[in-house]
This record gives sequence, structure tokens and C-alpha cells, in this order.
Amino acid sequence: MSYLTITKLNGHASIQDLGRKSAQHLGFSASGAADEYSYLLANQLLNNDPSAPALEVTLGQFSLTATDTCHMVITGADCQAFIVSEKKTPLNVPNNQVFTLTKGHELHLLMPKKQLHSYIAIAGGFLTKRWLNSASQTTTELPLGFGEKKLAIGQQLCFSTVEQSSAFQSKNQPPHYFHQDEQLALRFLPSAFWQKYTLEKQQQLLTQKYQITPKSNRMGYRLSGKSLHFHDKYSLLSKPVNYGAIQLPDDGQIIILMKERQTIGGYPVLGTVIQTDLYRLSQKRPGEYVNFVAVTLEQAQAQLLAFKTKFAS
Amino acid sequence: MLYGYLSMKPVSIFPTSEESVLVTWPEKVCPVQHQLIISTEKLITSQHDDVIFESIVSYNSMILYYHFQHISYPQLQQHILASIHQAEINAQIEKATQKTVDIPVYYGDEVAWDLAEVAKQCKISIEEVVCLHSQRTYRAYALGFTPGFCYLGSLDKKLRLSRKSTPRVAVPKGAVAIADQQTAIYPNISPGGWHIIGQTPIEMFQKNETSFQPKLSLGQQIKFIPINKQTYIELTEANNKGCQK
Repeated sequence: MSYLTITKLNGHASIQDLGRKSAQHLGFSASGAADEYSYLLANQLLNNDPSAPALEVTLGQFSLTATDTCHMVITGADCQAFIVSEKKTPLNVPNNQVFTLTKGHELHLLMPKKQLHSYIAIAGGFLTKRWLNSASQTTTELPLGFGEKKLAIGQQLCFSTVEQSSAFQSKNQPPHYFHQDEQLALRFLPSAFWQKYTLEKQQQLLTQKYQITPKSNRMGYRLSGKSLHFHDKYSLLSKPVNYGAIQLPDDGQIIILMKERQTIGGYPVLGTVIQTDLYRLSQKRPGEYVNFVAVTLEQAQAQLLAFKTKFAS
Repeated sequence: MLYGYLSMKPVSIFPTSEESVLVTWPEKVCPVQHQLIISTEKLITSQHDDVIFESIVSYNSMILYYHFQHISYPQLQQHILASIHQAEINAQIEKATQKTVDIPVYYGDEVAWDLAEVAKQCKISIEEVVCLHSQRTYRAYALGFTPGFCYLGSLDKKLRLSRKSTPRVAVPKGAVAIADQQTAIYPNISPGGWHIIGQTPIEMFQKNETSFQPKLSLGQQIKFIPINKQTYIELTEANNKGCQK
């Protein structure tokens, strides 16, 4: 069996795919790649199945070596990656371009200057343990011992040698400008709760900008801004919650639920951020600003359909 | 706001994302209404499993995830209304015949970390807390929070306390806890803000390489059976042996 060995891991890294969407009724987090755009792009560039498991590395500082020569690609946050071999000078590896990692050579990712998550994908995908139809790892569920164990230095990640044919035809494309540097406008679908309020009250959310706080992670993004107070006397019982739900706890500071969210929640929900903007949000760092723009269901579905069409194999 | 055909009770059907819809019944913890939600969920997911890929039921609500490329939202709404209608008709014929699941609980102070404090805050004796907690039959209202965790209701009014102001970083596996009108068993070690009043020696789920089977399922009746220390130790040992096999 061929495998990659993790030789450096300073930040956070996990195995991800499109998530465990149909096990939420059992209490499992849906999980999945935080930035689905970069994850899908990686698999598309390698002609992989769209749900082939890849590595999600947060804030770089990650290295690995291979037991056999293999084809790989890095997408997402730019970690100025390079390959070190014994004799030659280091070889730079640009993002979004398929490269070959030769047996025994070491791939290094530095800390990215912008964004958070990078995806390292391999031709054919990593051959990792799956659990309830997904290879995705969820931090809070790791102690349960399902699927692959928490990634660590020395860990081996298997891949198929058959997939690494020398005549690999790469589908390299010019980079897309999916992620933008400027303030992100989060388009959201208003909830039934939100619609009970007057336009004047709704303006409180729509007219200010919010800063992403350091208490943000794969589970949720906590924003800071002028406190919002939408008292919910209508809904006290816990209800199923979505990816992108805009929760409003008693302190009036917004939490947006991300990929590793829990399945049920009790806080009032103002609406749901559309998925394509959640992929953008996942790459935003604490300190950056966002604002909210309401959209209709038709607009939200049109955006997601266009996204899915781009990555349909 | 839309209305169920027979009951005329308001049922709200509202899109919560590109691919999900939340159906909400009146804001109450009620076994009859909850059974209706479970029946509606079973009907719609079995009749439209080609377009619905996930469903989650809670106290008074149900979320459905659907392939929006294959069915329009108004169409799905019609299917939901039809299923609610059918579930209401069926409810008049059906009689729930589920057997009660017994959960053995040791209420000793070495495992019941918050029992004394709960008794103090509720202004009753420890014995009364145990008695009030174990004499009721509970209903499984929702699965969530962590795999195998099941929200059970409703707790005796005398035992209702809000969550601890500071959640514990680690609640032990098997801890039996209460919060507000709910009680539950922690299936595994996890953070938690509920008051721990006992410990069960039994496993709350079975798993293997491909499946996960929670001990409790939605709509089930559950009863806590107080056990003494000797029985608790014996059951714990028997359980550990069972796990090693």
C-alpha cells in the first residue's frame, strides 16, 4: 500500500469530504469541507470523484512525504508550498495546479498570508475509513472513535497507486475569483421569526457591519457588533438547525452555524446565510468584516444551482 | 401560516435554506402532537424518498432536507400538507402500542454530582428528587446534541431548574441529568450544562463499522429504575465484559 506520512502539523488538519448529511437525525454533525468551493475545485482539477476525501489544513504549517510518486493539488488558502528533495533547490508549487510529488520528497506548506483553509487532494482521493457514508472528521466526535483517528505527525494516509498513472492529464484552469478580499456581503434567507418584525427593527441587522471574532471555528462564526434584541416569545423549544443559521443568543451577538454545527439548537434564528456565501465566510479571518443582505428562496436556489452546475462531473 | 385540514391548528411551513424546510406545530410539549409529527415525518419520507434525503424531528418541529433541483418548494409544500392530513386521519385509527424501555439508574452521591444541590434548589429532600425523577414515564422527544443523546420529557414541575451557569468541560459517560423540563442520559463523555443526578451502567448506543443504533428512538416511553450500588457495580462489570467480546 502506498501512503503519505505527515511530518509536520502545527495548526489544525482533518480529513474532509462533502459531509455526513444523512446522519443528522442520529445526532451526528453534518461536518464536511469548510470551504466547499476550494475542496470541489481540488477534486475537479484531479478528475476525482467530487466527494473524494481530501486534507483540510488550517493556517498551513504542514508537511508530508510520499512512499510512492503521486499527483496532487493544493487549493484554498495560499501557503507558498514547495517541495524539498535531497539534491535540488526547493521547487515552488503554485496553488490550483496539479503537481507530482516524487517518492521520498517532502511537501511543505507555510502559514498563509490570507484566508484559513487549504485543501490537499490526491489523484483518486485518500483511501481513508468512512463512517455513515462520509470520511469527514468532526472535532467533537473524534473521542467516539468512529472513522479515522485525529491526524498527527507520523500518521499515514493511504492512496491508490493505480490512480497515479504517468500520463496524467491535468485539467488546470485559470484561477477563479470566488473568494474576494473586501468586506463580504452575506446573503441570507429570512426566517419566519424575522418576518414577524417591523422593517424598522429589521434595519438594525441590515444597516451595520459585523466583525468576525477570534471565537470562530469550523463549528460556528461569532460576530461582534451593536447588540441586537429580537425577543422570541414564540419559540422556546429546541428545533433542528441548519448550516448557516443566524442565531441570536440573549447577549445580542450573532453566531452563524458552520459545518461542524450541532443538529438541534434553542436560540432564536433570524435567517440562514446562503451556502455559496458560507464557503466564502469560512475563509474569512477574525478581525474581518461582514454585512447582511436579504434574498429570496428563488435567488438562493439559483446561486446554489449555478455552483453545483460548475462542479457537476 | 398554513393550517392542517382536520385539526385547524396552525402549522407553519417555512424554507430555512436552499434545500430545507422547517415545519412547526404549536409551541408545546405534547405526546399527541409529537406522535403526529413522527407520523407525518414517516409518511413523507417514505413516500418521497427520491427527493427527501434527511429529516430531523424535535419537540414541536420537523426539518426536511430535499433535492431542490428535483422538486420545487411549492410542490414539496403540497406534499407536506397532504402528509399532515394523512397523519391526522391515521392518528384517529392508530393506537400507540410501544413497550416501555427501562433504564437502570444509580442515584448514589459518588456519581450523582449535583443531586444534593438540586434538592437544595428545589427545596425538597434528596429522596424526593429520586422519587419524582424515577416515578414518571418519559417520552423520547428528540435525538441530537451528540450522537445517542435523547431529550426526554417532561420532568415533574418541582424538579425544573435552568441549566448550570457554567457548563462542565466533561460530563461522564452514562450521567443521568436534568435541565428545565427535560431529562437525558449522556451517551459518552462530553461537555454539558445539565444537573447530574445519577448514573446508568448501560450503553446508550450500539455501533459497528457501518451502523449506529441508539438505544432510544423517537416517541418511545422511558422509565428510570433506581438501583443500589451492588447492582450498579454488577451491571457495569457485565457491560464491560459485553463490550470486550
